[in-house]
Amino acid sequence: MDGTTPKETLHDVVVIGGGPAGLAAALGARREGAEDVLVIERDRRLGGILNQCIHDGFGLFLYNESITGPEYGERLAEDADREGVRFETGAMVLDLTPDRLLRVNARSGYRLLRARSVVLAMGCRERTREMIEIPGTRPAGVFTAGAAQNLVNLQNVRIGREAVILGSGDIGLIMARRLTFEGIAVRGVFELLPWTSGLERNVRQCLLDFGIPLELSSTVVEVRGRDRVESVVVAAVDGGLRPVPGSEREIRCDTLLLSVGLIPENELSKRAGVELSPVTGGAVVDDVLMTSVPGIFSCGNVLHIHDVADFASDEGFGAGASAARFARGDLAAGTTVRVSAGPNIRYCLPQHVRPGTAGVDLSFRVTRPLRACRVTVQGKESGKVYFRKKYGRLLPSELQKARIKAAVEEDMEVGCHE
Amino acid sequence: MSERPSVDRLTCILCPVGCELEVRRTDRGLDVQGHQCEKGIGFATEEVLYPKRNLATSVPVKGSETRLVSVRLSDRVPREMIFPILREIAVLRPAVPVRRGQVLIANVLGTGVDVIATRTVD
Repeated sequence: MDGTTPKETLHDVVVIGGGPAGLAAALGARREGAEDVLVIERDRRLGGILNQCIHDGFGLFLYNESITGPEYGERLAEDADREGVRFETGAMVLDLTPDRLLRVNARSGYRLLRARSVVLAMGCRERTREMIEIPGTRPAGVFTAGAAQNLVNLQNVRIGREAVILGSGDIGLIMARRLTFEGIAVRGVFELLPWTSGLERNVRQCLLDFGIPLELSSTVVEVRGRDRVESVVVAAVDGGLRPVPGSEREIRCDTLLLSVGLIPENELSKRAGVELSPVTGGAVVDDVLMTSVPGIFSCGNVLHIHDVADFASDEGFGAGASAARFARGDLAAGTTVRVSAGPNIRYCLPQHVRPGTAGVDLSFRVTRPLRACRVTVQGKESGKVYFRKKYGRLLPSELQKARIKAAVEEDMEVGCHE
Repeated sequence: MSERPSVDRLTCILCPVGCELEVRRTDRGLDVQGHQCEKGIGFATEEVLYPKRNLATSVPVKGSETRLVSVRLSDRVPREMIFPILREIAVLRPAVPVRRGQVLIANVLGTGVDVIATRTVD
């Protein structure tokens, strides 16, 4: 470098994050004709969270077989490499502006990149002990489930001898089985809500298979121990999720794992001025997954939390293709109609649709377990039913999809009735 | 899981629909209810009579304690084989380079299933 300000390089599509969504987005952009597609990945290895998810169950939709996270990540990265995607690993995006200038701390030094379009694919973070405010001492031995997964699966660290898991998210369930394999006794999984937040199949094959107790409507009310966790106190909670006095009991353990939710990682999105949804924690997007900032797209766990990596990739392919179209001037920001969440629906995506668009794919989650129910997507002005489907059972843990075949012309509401 | 109730309630894990199945043992065999397609019967039968599982773990490569290669089985095995197979895998120290899909133990414990690497370590 000759001066103090590095020269700007120009790219068609820059994807931030090289996990299941970002790699797919890069592929989607290339397949839509973008010439110069660059993936920036903070880690030295592509694949993101897939690298530590060594269990199987990935690829059922994308590759029609059940493979593990590392296999899925390597295959996707190989596909992207073969199809001309370029990668910058070990590089961190420090800043993103609304006019798509990226300040990057790369292995080669500080660099400036200008992108015709940007795809946000930074994934998510885990909620921590501090965020759920568990009282007690502050000893070693309290881990988020994903941090424990990284230590056990990638760093060969024995994290403890006896564990309690708070929260029934999928990573917590997967880790219950993983710790059992490593000879660490799992004393129980405790879930605040009256239902599990992870997938049914994981309850079956990770807990029931090994006789690990699952207690719903319960929580950890105290952590005890000076240098290392010595025990936790668990208690039942009432309908208002408050601990029931007198129901406390102490469980001896040296390790507490937290699987209490994931939060989209949108620090960069905020810097770029992207409008975020208070419900999903991710960007507000339209039917081509464009955010409120023209030319900036979002997909995967940074947009909303997915339960299956294949769905994050599926969204990535779409966002990448849209980014390629924007980069060549084929896609403009325009007026939209709104899609809102009605009865029993926690959220639906996209929140905006360009009028006249047919074949829109909606993603939605319900607020609570529902049986024998019917989901409808209805026009707010005309009352016209755009989509209607019966379900035997819907769970908050399962992301659902609905395709609106007809052209959308008005504001719509997604609702679910038992 | 030593004792089982006479009615098994299962969630079919073959596809995302996740049918809730009820399986009863009768004199004439198993009675399966709640499936929306024929695959559900096969799943329920296998799950109740001889459940099969895959497993995943990771082992250090030869000469290192911190560089790991993750492994799985090439196919599912009867559930009771999980811990015996884990003991076989625990002593593995594969030499680098390891290729994704490489067989690290062929026909482990006579199950007809291989232990394979799930990542590439150069």
